[in-house]
Amino acid sequence: MSRNAEAWERRPQLPATHFVDARLYTDETLFREEREKIFGKTWIIACHESELANPYDYRTFRHPAGPDLVLVRGDDGVVRAFYNICPHRGNVLVREPAGTARALTCIFHAWTFDCRGGCTGIARRKEGYQDRLGTKDVGLRAVRCQVGFGGFVWVNLDDAGPSLGDFIGGALGSLLPHISQPLEVFHYQKIAVNTNFKLWHDTNSEFYHDYMHYFNRVTGMQQPGYFDRRYVPHPNGHAAVGSMEVKYDQYSGSGQRRIGWPGLAPGGWILIDLFPGMTYNLRTSVIRMDVVIPIAPNKTLIEIRGLGLRSDTAAERAERVRDHNIIWGPFGRNLHEDLLGVAGQGSALRDSASGARWLLHGREEGQTIHDEVGMRHYYAEWGRRMDRLSSAPFTESSP
Amino acid sequence: VSHRPDVDEIIYRSALLLDAGDFGGYLALCAPGFRYLISAYSPEIRRDMIWLEHDKAGMTTLFETLPRHHSDPAPLARHLTVYTVTVSDDGTQAQAVTALQVFRTSLDGGATELFGVGKIHDSVALTADGARLLKRHIKLDTRMLGIGSHIPF
Repeated sequence: MSRNAEAWERRPQLPATHFVDARLYTDETLFREEREKIFGKTWIIACHESELANPYDYRTFRHPAGPDLVLVRGDDGVVRAFYNICPHRGNVLVREPAGTARALTCIFHAWTFDCRGGCTGIARRKEGYQDRLGTKDVGLRAVRCQVGFGGFVWVNLDDAGPSLGDFIGGALGSLLPHISQPLEVFHYQKIAVNTNFKLWHDTNSEFYHDYMHYFNRVTGMQQPGYFDRRYVPHPNGHAAVGSMEVKYDQYSGSGQRRIGWPGLAPGGWILIDLFPGMTYNLRTSVIRMDVVIPIAPNKTLIEIRGLGLRSDTAAERAERVRDHNIIWGPFGRNLHEDLLGVAGQGSALRDSASGARWLLHGREEGQTIHDEVGMRHYYAEWGRRMDRLSSAPFTESSP
Repeated sequence: VSHRPDVDEIIYRSALLLDAGDFGGYLALCAPGFRYLISAYSPEIRRDMIWLEHDKAGMTTLFETLPRHHSDPAPLARHLTVYTVTVSDDGTQAQAVTALQVFRTSLDGGATELFGVGKIHDSVALTADGARLLKRHIKLDTRMLGIGSHIPF
């Protein structure tokens, strides 16, 4: 039976933890607060260490809550992060997304900086500043930066927040044995999609949408063990999903994997979602890493990386690339479908007047694969950081 | 004898067939040993990336499984301009470089947007029975492909 306006607006008859107000995905005020209270205070992945393999290599990153950053591997091998801003007149310092340079030189007035963020040159300093300002006064703004958990380069704009280790906690416990070897990025893709960033992470946090993926239905859902996979919530809004034996040979053109991943059972699959928008996804012979970068309430940049082992032979790497592309490449089977899904949500939820009122996170199946506990756990952390209820974000009461 | 018309013809026809969703017709243009490759260079990771690679059987499977998947229904239009055609000394093969532009037209309203650009590097067999595609390597300049596509270029 269809519903009239009153019924459509009525709160779902579910616990408040089991649905969210649709304005979480459309409201400008909430979006600004999310950037400040969540992305401005948490660890997020800027790049991978293999993108900065040698001293003086640099890599830029569009931080979702602050200025663009530049990551630099120093002459001492340490990776550091700085605002990608010349402190002189606010120009962008590094213009290419990656490169190698012993000195970072602003093209505007030729000020130079070293790999540790110190200013090393002010053009005609003596003539212009006499003794009033020197290089020691105009170093780059450093940002907390740490390499870890598979060699990813993490940054945090908050100088006073918890350590990376405390932030991750035990969430990656099931994955750590598989990422102890040095990894290497072989695939990098940015995707701009008109949807809210949380909707992409939601999709990575629930497997009920496997109904959208023919590949996952025939290789997973129809196979023994699929409905036994369990969600394990971890502190700070993270969640891990248990493995199963995926039957890749059930999809025409996919076939039996030859190389797999060290320590991962054949057909194994480990997925770990990290708050507020990162996902480790290990299956077949590849690790995929998603990082969401919110641009606007209904616009999100998704960075997707595919990683193999740094020790790969050419043949091994080629196989990982093939495994990656069949489901996760830009022409892959699952990525396109996931993007269709969230783009559809973004179309329906494009602004506060779009009409949607509630989104349900109410499935309870003993924390197994179609249970929506992953999203409920995420929004509990969202509420804690935002000091709002995700089911009633504009009421006075705190969660 | 100039082979240029034959090479131009098969390249342009391949675009028309893909645009029309005539995948069987497209595969009929391909030699048994056909290889298909899409790659792009990433300045971010400073590497060439392979985004799709198949032999003829793989391309056949890709097309045959399409109906089982959810795909963007908005049609793609491939606009090609054959820049150069170089024929081998023995006249059995040609190498062609073609500019590629792909446009996506929305179903609702019909707005058209540029989807991607790049170059197509084709190897074409020149036989008594006509030209056949031996290898197609698409080198994309565009790396942000929106929600992507199940159907290659």
